[in-house]
Amino acid sequence: MDVDNTFNIQFTIIFIYLFYVNLDLCDLMKVDRIKNNPLKLAKKILHDLKASENMGLLRCVQCGMCTSSCPGAKNSGYNPRDMVKRVLEGDESIINDEEIWNCFYCYTCHSVCPVGNSPSEVNQILRQTAIDKGIVKDKVGPFAVYGDSFLDIGIGAIPKSFFMELNEDIEGWLDLKSELEEIRGELGLGPITIPNESIKEVNTLLKKVGFNKRIEKMK
Amino acid sequence: MKIIPDKNILLFKSCLVSTEYPGIESSTKYIFDQLGVEYIIDHEQSCCSGLGYYSDVFDQTSTTLIAARNFYVTKKNNAKNIAVMCATCYAINKKSVKLLNKNNEFRERINNVFEESSMKEMKYEKGSLNPTDNIFHVVEIFFNKKKEISKHVKIDLSNFKIATHHACHYCKVHYEDTIEGFRNPRMLDELVESLGVKTIDWYNTKINTCGAGFRQRFANKPISMKVTGDKLLELNEQNVDILIHMCPNCQMQFDRYQPYLSKELGVDFNIFHLNITQLIALAIGGDPYKTVGIQTHTFSIEPLIKRISEDTI
Ligand code: SF4
Ligand code: SF4
Repeated sequence: MDVDNTFNIQFTIIFIYLFYVNLDLCDLMKVDRIKNNPLKLAKKILHDLKASENMGLLRCVQCGMCTSSCPGAKNSGYNPRDMVKRVLEGDESIINDEEIWNCFYCYTCHSVCPVGNSPSEVNQILRQTAIDKGIVKDKVGPFAVYGDSFLDIGIGAIPKSFFMELNEDIEGWLDLKSELEEIRGELGLGPITIPNESIKEVNTLLKKVGFNKRIEKMK
Repeated sequence: MKIIPDKNILLFKSCLVSTEYPGIESSTKYIFDQLGVEYIIDHEQSCCSGLGYYSDVFDQTSTTLIAARNFYVTKKNNAKNIAVMCATCYAINKKSVKLLNKNNEFRERINNVFEESSMKEMKYEKGSLNPTDNIFHVVEIFFNKKKEISKHVKIDLSNFKIATHHACHYCKVHYEDTIEGFRNPRMLDELVESLGVKTIDWYNTKINTCGAGFRQRFANKPISMKVTGDKLLELNEQNVDILIHMCPNCQMQFDRYQPYLSKELGVDFNIFHLNITQLIALAIGGDPYKTVGIQTHTFSIEPLIKRISEDTI
């Protein structure tokens, strides 16, 4: 009898304690949620132009299929499932996380996700956010020249800054570049370049949307 | 299955095809001519800006603005369809058509830029292109005509062991439009079969990405090379002679870096890398140098040509 009573009292105390602590926690969490609006980041991503229509970001079930098929995850500390989790928790530090720069944009995750989410596009948008904040010049700076040459010649080209390394790794790569026009002639193909009038058009259009300023900010 | 066109086509120029493997373009033209596919090329067309987009340099607005101008070039030629030779051109153009059709506010913004730049003839009219019915990879056009291709075959390739590499930006980005599967893609395998050769079909790394990863090849070479090497190692174990591509960027990753990886990994890789357009052109009688353009390959295709001529004798 005594033993039983003691047990009951202890149980009740523990119960009451847990009840209040829980209430407390719930309240705290509620306040926390309202204050921090954890879905703000996710909603920003969903509204980005780079996000596919009806992207299933909010439907993510954390199954990990993205990570299990991801070449970035296989070969670095990058983890797309965890990246999506942090986005859904409103953890903005993910924007500064070095690991997001290990994604290949291969869209394997995008094609296997059971709920139509696209970690690949989430990643692209996070990187854009980091670029807009001006915090990743070391990451995008070397690629910014791609934009310059697009403004100059109206089409894309491998950035000149990578030419020497490419030529070191690939025997005869620069020789090939110098023979290109001739080879294209042998193949009966037209010029690589576009007419001056077209270059002007491309240049005018891109400047109109501030592309040149965007490029300068990356450097 | 979706209807695949054989006329009113703008053959969309690709920066990497033009500068790395122009043989892809001349082979495509050669096959189109043999099959009677009607197409035009317009040098006023800019490129898709995809290399910039996927190395985070181009934002969506800039990329779609350039795409909309290219759509105008298409319309000006009375072409209704765009056929691309590069998987990234495919993904980028489809994405831009989808956005321009669905997002009214965004389309207005793009059209205003044209208006304010005195290029109002370039304005995009909602629905003037359909992402599924008007944007194609040239391989889909060949696939649709594979019975006819079979009739043109002049060279026996059955002594070669062939595997396929289906480009991620064709298979996985707009997967709802991908023909012949994206989890076990078979479009290239069936095309190779129409040339009279059975491929090895499925292999463990079949759907693995090439490893270029846009910025990764340049900024993160060790992991880029690791991904490329993994695939080459498996193909080597399976004694594959030829790997078939459908994207100049993948082709560049494998062909240009194979000798580098042979040294790095201490494995003698002897795999020929050909684009499907080059393989078909070769099989139906195209000249290796004047049509197929093997002279721009890093891992020489000459031993392959030699083996073919020995087999034929
Ligand atoms: S595969 Fe899709 S649902 Fe599963 S964890 Fe990744 S993003 Fe979430
Ligand atoms: S796109 Fe990025 S996150 Fe998705 S599978 Fe490829 S490397 Fe991984």
